[in-house]
Amino acid sequence: MLCIQTSNLTKKYGSSLAVDGIDLEIKSGQVFGFLGPNGAGKSTVIKLLTTLMPPTKGKLSVLGIDAAKSPLEIRRKIGVVLQQPSYEMTLSVENSLDKYGMMWDVDKKIRKQRTEELLTSFGLQDIRKKKNDDLSIGQRRRVQVAREFMHDMELLFLDEPTVGLDPSARRDLLDFLKKQVQKTGLTIFYTTHVLSEAEYLCDNVAIINKGKILAVDSPNELKNRFGREKTIKINLSNTSLSLNELLSDIPDCKIELEPETTITINSSNSEIVLMNILKILNQNNITINDLSAIPTNLEEIFLKVVSDSNEPDN
Amino acid sequence: MNPIIRLVYRNLTISINPGFIIWQILFPLIYIFVAGYAYTSLIENVPFGTKDLSYPAFLASGMIGFNIMNSTLISGIIIWNDRRHGMFEQIMSGPYTRSDYILSNIVTIGIIGLVSAGLITAVGYPVFFESVDFSIVTIPLLIFASVVGAILFGSIASIISTRLRSSEGFNVIINTVFLFFAFASTAFYPAQGAPQPLATAFYINPLSYLVDIVRAGIFGQITDFVIMEMIFLIVLASILFVIATKLLTKLDF
Repeated sequence: MLCIQTSNLTKKYGSSLAVDGIDLEIKSGQVFGFLGPNGAGKSTVIKLLTTLMPPTKGKLSVLGIDAAKSPLEIRRKIGVVLQQPSYEMTLSVENSLDKYGMMWDVDKKIRKQRTEELLTSFGLQDIRKKKNDDLSIGQRRRVQVAREFMHDMELLFLDEPTVGLDPSARRDLLDFLKKQVQKTGLTIFYTTHVLSEAEYLCDNVAIINKGKILAVDSPNELKNRFGREKTIKINLSNTSLSLNELLSDIPDCKIELEPETTITINSSNSEIVLMNILKILNQNNITINDLSAIPTNLEEIFLKVVSDSNEPDN
Repeated sequence: MNPIIRLVYRNLTISINPGFIIWQILFPLIYIFVAGYAYTSLIENVPFGTKDLSYPAFLASGMIGFNIMNSTLISGIIIWNDRRHGMFEQIMSGPYTRSDYILSNIVTIGIIGLVSAGLITAVGYPVFFESVDFSIVTIPLLIFASVVGAILFGSIASIISTRLRSSEGFNVIINTVFLFFAFASTAFYPAQGAPQPLATAFYINPLSYLVDIVRAGIFGQITDFVIMEMIFLIVLASILFVIATKLLTKLDF
């Protein structure tokens, strides 16, 4: 079943086009990553999908509900953790969770039980009596995310939820989210700048820049599509020979020497190029100290896709 | 539970704390029992309708109107805090509409206005009981004044909170406006005998109308002028409420 479906979704602020005719189809029960540089339009898309603002043009359906007709019905079924902090400064951590549950009309008994579970899951037990105003940025962010699990939902929007979290809290959150998806069939729409997070968590990702979707696929498929060019680094022992001259005739590759004893090769034909280089090095009795292949990761794909889209022709 | 009731409960939970309650009772108490009796050497009796009120009785009844106005500051503070700390957007992305948010604020300030009026009436009763003239007509008048006054001043506080983002700007403007309302009104002293420009300022100030209606309710002095003041108050409260609602509806994210 499709959880989110958009057609030519467009949002203009005055004359500036923030979202440019986006077509998206997101299936239920998955974590969908939404990646893009600052100002790419990620948060605007979230605000459109959560019905916080109407689109200038285009169609939008969330959980099978037409957003133009029944925005409130959509909002009753979703959870949203927005990019900016949101908290009531006079409430303690445990009261924040409880009152948030109350605002979602969750039964008092269930609220009590969920508050305890979430305080434990999010490592908030020690600060449960602390007021929101006295928390660090990371602690406040954890409360903000934890709070959203006080109520039942079918779809959760998380706009850069790990901002301000330390690495271990970040990993705990990602694991918690993974478990929730497995346990409840929840769909998560997740934006982040940390590409390793998206790679760890997301079933599918979309890359957006200047309000346009540039690519949508699973992280592995994106790597296959855009990551054919591989990087190989060879570290050599000192040699009196000029490597520039020796390697200048090898086709289909970009070779960098930095410093003189390290060769970095970028090529979509990396295996053949590597064979040729090894042959030349062997013929000239140059010893190899270290050889490593750098695996293509989502970050490189992201940078490539975004930089291609920034080229003047695009 | 109805969404508006849930939001009202939330508003009351986040805004009412022991400090607020103590201030809401202690401040008028000091005014009534210290300033009220201290000034009796200067102002012995104040004529009001057909009655001559003692100054403490005049002041205590004025403090009811003052307290209604003061307590509605909460409405502005709730909206301003919600915007400042991201809760407005968070609530709007949940199972609520803007109408729910606006209505919950009105109900909140209505409740706070009524409770404030009740508290000061109870606290001030020993001071003005000799002149009290409650009847079946005057009690609804007190409720009318509490609710309409709360909506009027709550709307002013809401308008200010929607226009200002910085905490300094919000505090300076709201305190200046409410200070003018408090001191250029008939809450603390009568208009009769004041220099003409000041007496005029008293009657372009809605707090004077609110206080007059409260006094009319307590001391049973319903005149044509009081009815005119009621009409003025309800018209002004409606206009300000419409403006506040429009501004809240237009708030973007």
